Amino acid sequence: MVTETLSNKKVLTKGNYAIAQAAINAGCECYFGYPITPQSEIGEFMSGKMQELNRAYVSAESELAAMNMVIGACSTGAKAMTSSSSCAVSLMQEALSYATSDELPVVLISVMRGGPGLGNIYPSQGDYFQATKGGGNGDYHLIVLAPSTVQECVDLTYKAFYLAHKYRNPTMLLADGLLGQMMEPVEFKEYPYPEIDNSSWALTGAKGRDGRIIRSYAPLADNQCVFLEKLFEKYRTIEKNETEWEEIGTEDADVILISFGSTSRNVKTAMKLCREKGIKAGFFRPVTLFPFPSARLNELASKTKKMISVEVNMGQMINDIRLAVNGKVPVELIHKPVGAPPAPEEILEKIEELI
Amino acid sequence: MTVQVFKIPDSFKKDVKFSFCPGCDHGVAVRLVAEVLDELKIREKTILAASIGCSVTLYDFLNVDSIEAPHGRALAEATGVKRARPDKFVFTYQGDGDFASIGLAESLHAALRGENVSAICINNTTYGMTGGQLGPTTLLGQVTTTSPTGRNLEYYGYPIKIAEHVALCDGTAYSARVSLDSVANIRKAKQAIKKAFEVQLQGLGFGFVEILSTCPTNWKMTPSKAHERVRDEMMKTFVPGVYKDVTSDGLTRRMR
Amino acid sequence: MEKNFIIAGFGGQGVLLAGEVLATAFMLAGKKVTWYPSYGAEMRGGTVNCEVVASDEEVSAVNKLNTDFIVALNQASFEKFLKKIKKGGVMIANSSLVKELKNRTDINYLFAPITKLAEDLGNIKMANILALGILAKASKMVSLEHLIDALDRVLPPHRKNLLPLNIKALKIGYEYDLLPAGA
Repeated sequence: MVTETLSNKKVLTKGNYAIAQAAINAGCECYFGYPITPQSEIGEFMSGKMQELNRAYVSAESELAAMNMVIGACSTGAKAMTSSSSCAVSLMQEALSYATSDELPVVLISVMRGGPGLGNIYPSQGDYFQATKGGGNGDYHLIVLAPSTVQECVDLTYKAFYLAHKYRNPTMLLADGLLGQMMEPVEFKEYPYPEIDNSSWALTGAKGRDGRIIRSYAPLADNQCVFLEKLFEKYRTIEKNETEWEEIGTEDADVILISFGSTSRNVKTAMKLCREKGIKAGFFRPVTLFPFPSARLNELASKTKKMISVEVNMGQMINDIRLAVNGKVPVELIHKPVGAPPAPEEILEKIEELI
Repeated sequence: MTVQVFKIPDSFKKDVKFSFCPGCDHGVAVRLVAEVLDELKIREKTILAASIGCSVTLYDFLNVDSIEAPHGRALAEATGVKRARPDKFVFTYQGDGDFASIGLAESLHAALRGENVSAICINNTTYGMTGGQLGPTTLLGQVTTTSPTGRNLEYYGYPIKIAEHVALCDGTAYSARVSLDSVANIRKAKQAIKKAFEVQLQGLGFGFVEILSTCPTNWKMTPSKAHERVRDEMMKTFVPGVYKDVTSDGLTRRMR
Repeated sequence: MEKNFIIAGFGGQGVLLAGEVLATAFMLAGKKVTWYPSYGAEMRGGTVNCEVVASDEEVSAVNKLNTDFIVALNQASFEKFLKKIKKGGVMIANSSLVKELKNRTDINYLFAPITKLAEDLGNIKMANILALGILAKASKMVSLEHLIDALDRVLPPHRKNLLPLNIKALKIGYEYDLLPAGA
């Protein structure tokens, strides 16, 4: 659990608890959820804390209901969230499609486990597509943030609430079972973002005004055209303002290793091992998976000879990298289907095979 | 001196034009809801969780704040709204397919939790908007586009008695079944809607009304024939009445 | 410098808690540290382990191939993790439950009757913290003071009454002066 220290402000905290505490600090007013390993601690933590703080907590009858409850709460302008994992995030896709079309500030924590189907509870990055490609019906995207440390679980949960409300777009924190279960020292700073005024759209009861309607239903094709153009204009703005990544040693790199989430930590070390062996490797980590840092990758593709995507899945993000570099350099894959990320030495070995 | 005996409810939008088929009971039901919102003076604190089906455009008729819910999820969304803003009046207006087929889990769990929200369910024994398919309330023997030889047990099983199921939930404060087949029954229906709204305002729990309604288009009947069917066939399976009323039972529930 | 530690045993032997205390002590010592558990569908009875990686710089990996120190509280853990120890690394094994075999000659062994020592102390459940004391001494990475401070922070309120006994167990382990063979 969370233990405070006197010597500094750091506390050794499990990823799941870090996310939950950060949500509370961010002012989350409502939590709706259904248990699933490996993220059940989030709901457990929230059940106690939210009641203690006189905020809303509901043990929903399903993930499907949970996400719809979040939509209901968000329609009033409230900060609301749910958390879940892989096969259960699948159950939320219908509602996420609605929420995106309704332009609601939904916050979803997705702690990935192995799939497809029930799969298993081991760490995985198999839901990259689910997170970044919409996931439900129609043209839309969630904003997707991918932490790689427990500290980032805190910082990016704050950011998820901010971006969701700033852009009125469902926002997902995409963690994995390893991050959810690991403990690291973290500092819970205060929520660093301004509160967003939602008085122009939130449902408050139509006092002294006509009723407001929040809906996705667009019976006329022309209306839907206008809406979708506007929605994608919003995505271009988000891409311009919010795209975030980390890069090390890319300036002179012959090969750039690209990885996100907990896996990226081992890849960063593999990059250092490469350098020790005289291989000029660079490291690139997308922090926002949508918007994806395509423009920067395209720039880097003009300077490097090869890119390698390292993922714990069958190769998903590699598709976005290939689209970004548009054939300028070959893009290879190092992957493990499911489980803890490959060790740095194993990654190094495969890099040596590929270059 | 003139006395106004009839007017468009204030809770209706200006120049409201229903998109319901001629003779459909939805129009009467929506009007009753609007009249009750007026009488209880709660339009300005109301948030509607709308549904999917013939009721989908309810927000085009009622001048209240509305959030659209995916098919069957109206009571999950209503739960979210109410938990976020407990001082608002929150209700759903759903068809039988929305409430009792695809959304049965959301509906009954809202009742079981005793959510302080109100729900209206229009039971017309068919999926109206999609063209008259068999639904959860389709009567035994009833011919629909997906029960061409009539609903038989072998293929389709039994219809659901919604008001009774809702009444069985401990969180339910009020559950009634009414119909709109006569002036007298329309008056009773309005009283039931009012009661289902009042229990929420009093913090007593889940308020529910199932309204037996007609679908002349899909039933392929005239409106008056359709009302005869409500009386002669529907009411035999779906018996009107108050199935639970904690205010008259002397039962008390926690205030939230 | 970076070192990593695996503490392993039966579910119920408190290996996750011991790891959490160790990780907290490293944090208090100002090191970068990561703790992560093995986890599976089993709730109780299976083998459980956690790994703690402590470093002066950023922790290099969250799934390391080899390990500097392993604490095996039961036979299954001993067998499972023997091959994972780095050349020159240390296997600390609970000889109350583990056969004293030294099949690898390139590592150091430290056998101690941890369960028995805990029983002698009066509470078999102290085995995990007692083992932690032995580990701390052998690793020379973390002080007794930081471990005691960590125990105080990690023990939940309803277990705080056991703090003195835990500290005693920690000290017994720390002072268990059995030199590793071949060291």
